[in-house]
Amino acid sequence: MRLTCPYCGPRDHQEFTYRGDATAARPALDNTSVDDHNAYVYDRSNPDGLHRELWNHTSGCRTHMIVERNTVTHDVVSCEPVGPFAEQLK
Amino acid sequence: MANLAEKLSPLHELAMPRSGSDKIILSERLCDSLVQVQAWPDSVGEVEKLINGTRGKRSVMPTGPGRWLIDDPAEGLEDKLRKKIGAELGAVTGLTHARVVVSISGEKATWVLASGIALDFDLSAFPTGTTQVGHHHEIGLTIHRTGENSFDLYVFTSLVRSFWQWIEKASAEPGFSVV
Repeated sequence: MRLTCPYCGPRDHQEFTYRGDATAARPALDNTSVDDHNAYVYDRSNPDGLHRELWNHTSGCRTHMIVERNTVTHDVVSCEPVGPFAEQLK
Repeated sequence: MANLAEKLSPLHELAMPRSGSDKIILSERLCDSLVQVQAWPDSVGEVEKLINGTRGKRSVMPTGPGRWLIDDPAEGLEDKLRKKIGAELGAVTGLTHARVVVSISGEKATWVLASGIALDFDLSAFPTGTTQVGHHHEIGLTIHRTGENSFDLYVFTSLVRSFWQWIEKASAEPGFSVV
């Protein structure tokens, strides 16, 4: 599988580190619900098809990006930069 | 008593000069000044101007968004850049002792590197004078292409012996010299 880093271009997926589910939304800081925080940390939908994931180009420019990937075919639909340099990389 | 200011190569006996085939020529170099500069997102242009304004004989290698690795053939670059680039503009980190430069050249240089590093070494994707950051297994590498068949590889000092052993083995088929 290859991922297209917004800075470096297409690279082997071994250069990247999976950083988790990009669809999980952290509860607000003033949200004291244990159930909401438990769901944020542990509950995942494990979709069969398109999924949005956070990846980091660990062995390259260290940019974070959101990868939209088909979990069945491994087809990569898009790689978008996130983080403080995201606007400059678009 | 050992002179603590004297630079000692971690490769030591591994990279002793020896003659052989000129299809691959390997050498090591210890940096005089190697500095990483990371600009903050809103100061990239300003930091780039400050770096380029003092370019001289330096190699200025972009290694990430707002980040450069600068190799200078004179000592003292870290202090000079730190005076120009304050904490309000970015971060300056001295890496002089943290990397060893392994140079490879010769008609089979690209072939050897491509056998162990998953990068596109074609000149159209990796032109002369540009830099790519990648890895060989778990050893991170900053690779600067200095010519069609010549590269400088900036390797972590603590892992350079392992990397050198690989590059010698990978160069064994066409044959190599160490200078």
